[in-house]
Amino acid sequence: MTDTTPSEYVVETEALCKRYGAKLALDQLDLRIASSRIHAIVGANGAGKSTLFRILLGFLPPSSGQARILGRDSQQLTPTDRGRIGFVNEEHTLPNWMRVSAVTAMQRRHYPRWNQRAFDEVIGHYHVLPEQKVGQLSRGERAGFNLALTLAQGPELLVLDEPTLGLDVVAKRAFLESLLYSNAAGQCTVIYCSHQMEEVERVADNLIILERGRLANMSAPDDFCARVTHWVADIPFAGPPPASVPGLLQAQRIDGLHHYLVLDQDEDFAAFLRASGARSVQSMPVSLDRAVNGFLAKNHAMPAAA
Amino acid sequence: MRDLFKAELLRFRGWAIAGAALHLLVLGFLARVVDLAQQPLLVYRVFGGVYALAGLLLGLYQMGSYRRPNVWLNLLHRPLPDWRIAAALLGAGILLLAVAAALPVLLIAGYQAGMTARVVDLRHWLFPLAALLIAACGYLAGAFCMLGGRRYSACALVFLALLAVSQATGPRVLLLQAIALLWLAAMVLAAFKPDLSAPPRSPAATAVTALPLQMGVYSLMLLLGFGMEMLWIMQGTHPNNTGVPPPGGHNETERMTPQQRMLAGLAASRAPQAPLWREQVALSEVQPIGVQVVATPVRNELTHAAAEQTEFDDDERRVRWVFSHDRMRFEGYRLTDGRRAGELGVGGGDAPFPAPAQAAGGLPGLPKGDGTLVAGNVLYRYDGAAGQALPRIVLPAGEILAGVTPVGESLVVTSDRALYFFDGRDAATGDALLRPRQRLPIPGRSGDLRSVELIELVDGYLVSFSFTSYAHELTGATPYQNVLWVDDGGRVTPVAHRAMAYDYSAPYRYKAWWPSPALYALRVGAIGLFAPADPLQATAPAPMPRGIQVFAGALMLLSLLAAIPMSLRRALSTPARMAWVLACGVIGLPALASLWLLYPARGQAEPQRQLQPAAA
Repeated sequence: MTDTTPSEYVVETEALCKRYGAKLALDQLDLRIASSRIHAIVGANGAGKSTLFRILLGFLPPSSGQARILGRDSQQLTPTDRGRIGFVNEEHTLPNWMRVSAVTAMQRRHYPRWNQRAFDEVIGHYHVLPEQKVGQLSRGERAGFNLALTLAQGPELLVLDEPTLGLDVVAKRAFLESLLYSNAAGQCTVIYCSHQMEEVERVADNLIILERGRLANMSAPDDFCARVTHWVADIPFAGPPPASVPGLLQAQRIDGLHHYLVLDQDEDFAAFLRASGARSVQSMPVSLDRAVNGFLAKNHAMPAAA
Repeated sequence: MRDLFKAELLRFRGWAIAGAALHLLVLGFLARVVDLAQQPLLVYRVFGGVYALAGLLLGLYQMGSYRRPNVWLNLLHRPLPDWRIAAALLGAGILLLAVAAALPVLLIAGYQAGMTARVVDLRHWLFPLAALLIAACGYLAGAFCMLGGRRYSACALVFLALLAVSQATGPRVLLLQAIALLWLAAMVLAAFKPDLSAPPRSPAATAVTALPLQMGVYSLMLLLGFGMEMLWIMQGTHPNNTGVPPPGGHNETERMTPQQRMLAGLAASRAPQAPLWREQVALSEVQPIGVQVVATPVRNELTHAAAEQTEFDDDERRVRWVFSHDRMRFEGYRLTDGRRAGELGVGGGDAPFPAPAQAAGGLPGLPKGDGTLVAGNVLYRYDGAAGQALPRIVLPAGEILAGVTPVGESLVVTSDRALYFFDGRDAATGDALLRPRQRLPIPGRSGDLRSVELIELVDGYLVSFSFTSYAHELTGATPYQNVLWVDDGGRVTPVAHRAMAYDYSAPYRYKAWWPSPALYALRVGAIGLFAPADPLQATAPAPMPRGIQVFAGALMLLSLLAAIPMSLRRALSTPARMAWVLACGVIGLPALASLWLLYPARGQAEPQRQLQPAAA
């Protein structure tokens, strides 16, 4: 962690651990997320993302370590603090029995910084009628309505926990567009948790990768992509033993060619392949999706935290 | 908060209206068939149980739908204090129960008061409130069962058990129910926090949760004992169920015929007339003496154990007389058309009875349609023709008249303290007060008295008293039988005292006490809270055996010692740890179990993680 004042960060954790029985969901997690910008948190299932959010919002106690959100100990959040933090989860939990207008009116009265323009701006992307019951909304409309409600709260920090899970392609696009083109979203720090790399690639300024409860990467998505390269080598016989391949994330043999996905390797890797018997070597960049998937698939390869 | 309240009302309004309609339908049907204001205690208990169950289900469903992690987060993550969110939800739940449980009762009470000649007293107007309080207690218990920690949340049910077994009477029942409601509300508010898995945080919240939990553990221990007793009975060796009862024990005496009992008592007698009396008993009819009043009625009590006795029918005149606690008189309505048929008080002026009166059956020689009434220490003759209740027997002030038994030409009147012998021939004739010929003090406490039987002698009566009612538990006297002779002059001579053996070991008899003497005292206090002492139920507990006291003390010491390492393995502050250790020493095993249930042990040390070699 760097020596900066706490107010520069919306989220700070220090040696944060959360244990469920014998399993560690968060393992000595040191994380600082700066205010402003959109931060994406990705990780495999069980990486500790949802546990982290639940601790940050005060709904789970840490086993050890500290967690602060908007400068406040996460276990000491006041109602005012909660009013500054918007949260959208994948279920878009809303009262099914109420009408859209009634839910909106209730939220308007609860949040003193209610921004009707932000609500109208987001809800305009959806065909949602005020007299409709929430239970009658499609999943996409429900997600959009939830996003509109949350952005209209005027949050300083918006946490989106896999908000597009289960949405079809059209609904996903609508959701992302309503988020990206919302002025309200631009005025707050957004933490976006998703498994959809195309979404992350589109929205995130900062990519945070959690792996087994630890911080595995924090950098701009492009910087992370640049660290991962795809090499194709024509090796007549068996390739080098995997354990000897530096920075190996993934190795495959397709049509007699050896494909290597490696982390933090420069042109020296070509020399390594040639020394291993390669007759020809070719490198190419990878997409964020491929880079992250390859990175997460090789869960025991631990680069230094950014 | 108001929005959440309204939203929750909206959510369940359909269910509440449907529940109210169904409830009204059931009550309306029953009101056409019976007088719902004069039902036995069991009927009200069934209704109370249904209200509590309805509330419990609402609490379980409502909070169960909110306790899923994402829903809970969405509910509480808003700029409102947790308690205000809880108040909105709980307030709505209780209002819905008022509609479904209390309103139909109120409407039926209104129907009975306005459209029938049935008695509807002030106490009956309190029924809707009692229904609401019981349903609300069930509701909050259900809410806590969902929101409290899974290891201990069922402890809220002890309050429902308390409502079922409480001895409180009259409007004070409502006070007890209100206390239970407030306590349950405090428990729910303590559990209504973002982290549902966390134990209560503040000392007050811990105390509010821990005490019912300890009582719940204590109750569970008693239930386990009850379960073991069931196995014992199934095995066929339980003293109550063996083919032949243990010799010399109280079960043996209880299973005897009155004649056998009298002979068993006389067998222990050293009186010179004993052989003669034994012969006489073998040849004569031994008369058992019964009681009509099993529990002393209390004015304005909401329910009564023998409610059927608070009304009686004059079959000659086809009038049903129902006692009104407001008027302290019987009020009549005609069985033929349900119209009002006047009022029945004491004497020609229909003066109010001095205590709640109840029917005590007929007596030999009384005209058809007439009968007797008992109120406090007075026996009245109901004179149907004159429409009057005339006092015939007045016992000394402070005594409770419990029963009248005709024996030959005599009347034997039982009170909580003595037997009185009257000339029965005078009872059916004349209006004057009867004077007792003899008074025989009961040689023990009324609550312990299991059976009384007598035979008429040439000179007086030979009376046997068996005190075995509660010999199987710690509240009862050491079982014994006394045989007394009261002669014509009223002189009482002890004839025999027969001590009986216990059929149950001391650990069995004191099984409610030794697991936790403190919680036993609390249980007794809670059940007896706002309850008047009933002289008919008074007992003379036997002294506690020393071994039981030592055993209970050893368990408390064991709990204290076990609490020390257990508390060290839990995330507790030093004062909290000391308080728990002390509580375990004072309260015993239930406190130790509560400590274990309330606080999970600290996690194991973090395992060493090892990096594995790469494998593509």
